[in-house]
Amino acid sequence: MALLRIPRIGIGGPVGSGKTMLIEQLVPILKNDGYNVGIISNDVVSREDADRMRKNLATDKGLMPEDLVIGIATGGCPHTAVREDPSINISVVEEMESKHPELDLIIIESGGDNITTTFSPALADYFIYIIDVSGGDKYPRKRGLGIETSDLLVINKIDIASFIGADLSIMERDAKVVRNDKPYVFVNSKTGQGVKTVAEQIVKDLLFDAPPKSVAIN
Amino acid sequence: MHTDKHTDKDNESTTPSIADLSFLQLSDSFFPTGLYTTSNGLELLFYDKNRKLTYGEISDFIKAYLVQQIGPTDCCVVGNVYDSIQKKDFMSLLELDNTYYFMRLVDETRSASTRSGIQFLRCVSAFIHNDEYLDFYSKNIKSGHAKGVYPLSYALGCNSMNITKERAGLMLLYGFVVSVIGASLRLGILQHIEGQMLIDEMKPVILSTVKKNINRPMDSMWQFIPQLDIIQMHHEQMDSKMFIT
Repeated sequence: MALLRIPRIGIGGPVGSGKTMLIEQLVPILKNDGYNVGIISNDVVSREDADRMRKNLATDKGLMPEDLVIGIATGGCPHTAVREDPSINISVVEEMESKHPELDLIIIESGGDNITTTFSPALADYFIYIIDVSGGDKYPRKRGLGIETSDLLVINKIDIASFIGADLSIMERDAKVVRNDKPYVFVNSKTGQGVKTVAEQIVKDLLFDAPPKSVAIN
Repeated sequence: MHTDKHTDKDNESTTPSIADLSFLQLSDSFFPTGLYTTSNGLELLFYDKNRKLTYGEISDFIKAYLVQQIGPTDCCVVGNVYDSIQKKDFMSLLELDNTYYFMRLVDETRSASTRSGIQFLRCVSAFIHNDEYLDFYSKNIKSGHAKGVYPLSYALGCNSMNITKERAGLMLLYGFVVSVIGASLRLGILQHIEGQMLIDEMKPVILSTVKKNINRPMDSMWQFIPQLDIIQMHHEQMDSKMFIT
């Protein structure tokens, strides 16, 4: 059982919406600003996302030790694992907290799920919900707890909007309405466009602009 | 079908109590322990058999676990926790914890047991206060003197809620059966009514396994399912899987 709670971000969204890619773009930005990050990736049927992030962020780029990317199987119940019964995720987070108190934040990626996904506040302090434009520009107004209640809504793959006839201005208008002016960001996780804004929101709203622990200690 | 096992009223209580409701609370799959993330190797067996596992094979799989492992180890731990509490023998709780932990041969199973055990303990401790045994075990987990294995946390929780030793044993085995059947449903091996039929079929096995093992002394705790242990070890290494083990 951990002594210190490290700020935790939950990232949820449908299968293929770009959760893993967002994390792969986000971590280098945060690391460049001095923030040390751990990742827990819930996968529905494979360890592919965790393995890919470990290779990309830890092995190849050296941004974190390899043991700071952990994959969890969810028994085919991705939203149960982060909402109704987050026991296993909480255990893994706490193990990470006690082994790595130097971390500034821990990212918990949900397995791909539907628009009702939310994170238990016992598990995550800040919730990012990500959708992509390929579902059509009706997506935000269809609502769902993830879209409506997340701390930050990320709308990904804006580069393909014109190819599939999705109007970003409609998505923006509807996002404002259904979220009561809570923040949203348009991104292209493939190129990194817009991801810096996501990082800034996290530092502002989750870390309250606190400097990285390494800086604060020195 | 109304079989003989449904007419057994020997131990039926007529006066409902809070302990009865606690029994229902802890046996409910809604109780957060994370057990839905495990299949106990069933997933690998399913793929090894080209996704053609039958109802009978699932039945044999569950029976083998109950009779050869969950009964003589997990159920035995539950019984010994109650006996230790009766004797106020705190140190034997630590011995049970240690023995059980090192009897789990599969790494993922060991860590899943401690993760579920610790979270179970935390959940019960949120509404059961000042139980000296729950507090003792929690403190020892925190200080690194205990691992926090599931059957021990579970038995302490049951004891704190005045659930009898025998009923705690029944509930533990019932929970195991339901978790494997739940995994079978999610893998598409069984359908919902078959799942309930299988639970019904397992009732006499659960009952006899508990009777046989709940008073088993700690020094005669055993397990022997080498083929299923090997299946779980292979399952641990699968690249694509839904379940922890």
